Amino acid sequence: MESFISILLAIFAIYLLLGVIFAILFLFRGITKVDPATKGSGFFFKLLIFPGLVFFWLFLLSKWIKTNRS
Amino acid sequence: MSESYTSILWSKQKRKYDMVLWAGILLLIISFVAFQMLLHPDITPQTLLIRATALTAIVLLHVVLVIGPLCRIDKRFLPLLYNRRHLGVSMFLIALIHSGLCIMMFHVMGDTNPIVSIFTSNEHYNSISKFPFQILGFFSIIILFLMAATSHDFWLKNLGPRVWKGLHMSVYLAYAMIILHIALGTLQYESHPIYWTFLVLGFVLVAGLHIYAGIKETKKLKGDRNRLQENGFFEAGSIHDIDEKCATTVNFKGENIAIFKYDGKVSAVHNVCKHQMGPLGEGMIIDGCITCPWHGYQYYPENGQSPPPFTEKVKTYEVKVVKDIIWVNPNPNDEGTFVEPAKSK
Repeated sequence: MESFISILLAIFAIYLLLGVIFAILFLFRGITKVDPATKGSGFFFKLLIFPGLVFFWLFLLSKWIKTNRS
Repeated sequence: MSESYTSILWSKQKRKYDMVLWAGILLLIISFVAFQMLLHPDITPQTLLIRATALTAIVLLHVVLVIGPLCRIDKRFLPLLYNRRHLGVSMFLIALIHSGLCIMMFHVMGDTNPIVSIFTSNEHYNSISKFPFQILGFFSIIILFLMAATSHDFWLKNLGPRVWKGLHMSVYLAYAMIILHIALGTLQYESHPIYWTFLVLGFVLVAGLHIYAGIKETKKLKGDRNRLQENGFFEAGSIHDIDEKCATTVNFKGENIAIFKYDGKVSAVHNVCKHQMGPLGEGMIIDGCITCPWHGYQYYPENGQSPPPFTEKVKTYEVKVVKDIIWVNPNPNDEGTFVEPAKSK
């Protein structure tokens, strides 16, 4: 049980770590492409959406890729 | 509105709302702490804080959950709805403090990872009385986190209204888990009937208000179905039943319509705001625009368009007034289509 939970947690931690890296990149490079309404938004706005970016990074990555393709 | 984002949309009313909210939170915590210290003079500060944050979070969760049905039952509760997301985020922050304190107090002392310890410190998964209630709290705080993290308009737009709404409806799953978390946890050790009484009363209140609001809406829908119709127009009631700059709502042929009376005119638009699907018919005409009660999104009543530079549009409907009776055609026009308002006088 303990090793099973540990493995699941490790996978989840890696997912979140990738999310942190993605979120930083996304806030600097991708956010205004995916959602032009974010142009000129302040630091506090970025801080507010940061936790969500870490969690939903795969979803936003796919949106970012789609935006770049189109 | 949608032109660009701000971190938090503040207004005079929202500041007042937040001040009352946090004054209430502080009052509740202080009263509870004083009450507990009187009852249990030997209580440790950690236990006191864990209990105070638990109580405050569960009370706030009940308030969050009853606001929706209360507003559907009586419009006078609407001001409570306008800033519900601040209430929800405040509730999450207090629940997060409770979770952090519990992990620090019960799961950091051993060799096991504290999160792993939540799942393994008690493995009576096949028992009801000894069930590891901590995991229910753990999963519910994850749900509350996801809701708080996606409470900004950015997420509504980028996740899409359906996914966003679905995610935020999971508050009911979180509520069910929290009720079980309390019933299987604290209440196993607290024998005083007052705790069970409050828990059951809270559940009955939440469930009862939802059921009552649902019955009321179903009755109204049935009433709408039986209205008179003539040449594609449905009777929508007397002009005198609508207050100036306010609306009545009807549902004909599956169309949810808000009919506004203003400046001697009557216009009909789709009752669902483009922002967070708020009920436009519960809003008012402010500065010549229909103003959504939830977050202040605005639309011209004649064409359903947001004033420039905003770009939201809602559907419009043909409407006429004959002998003080309003008639509306439920076949919608395209979003943003101008419709000549009917004269109400």
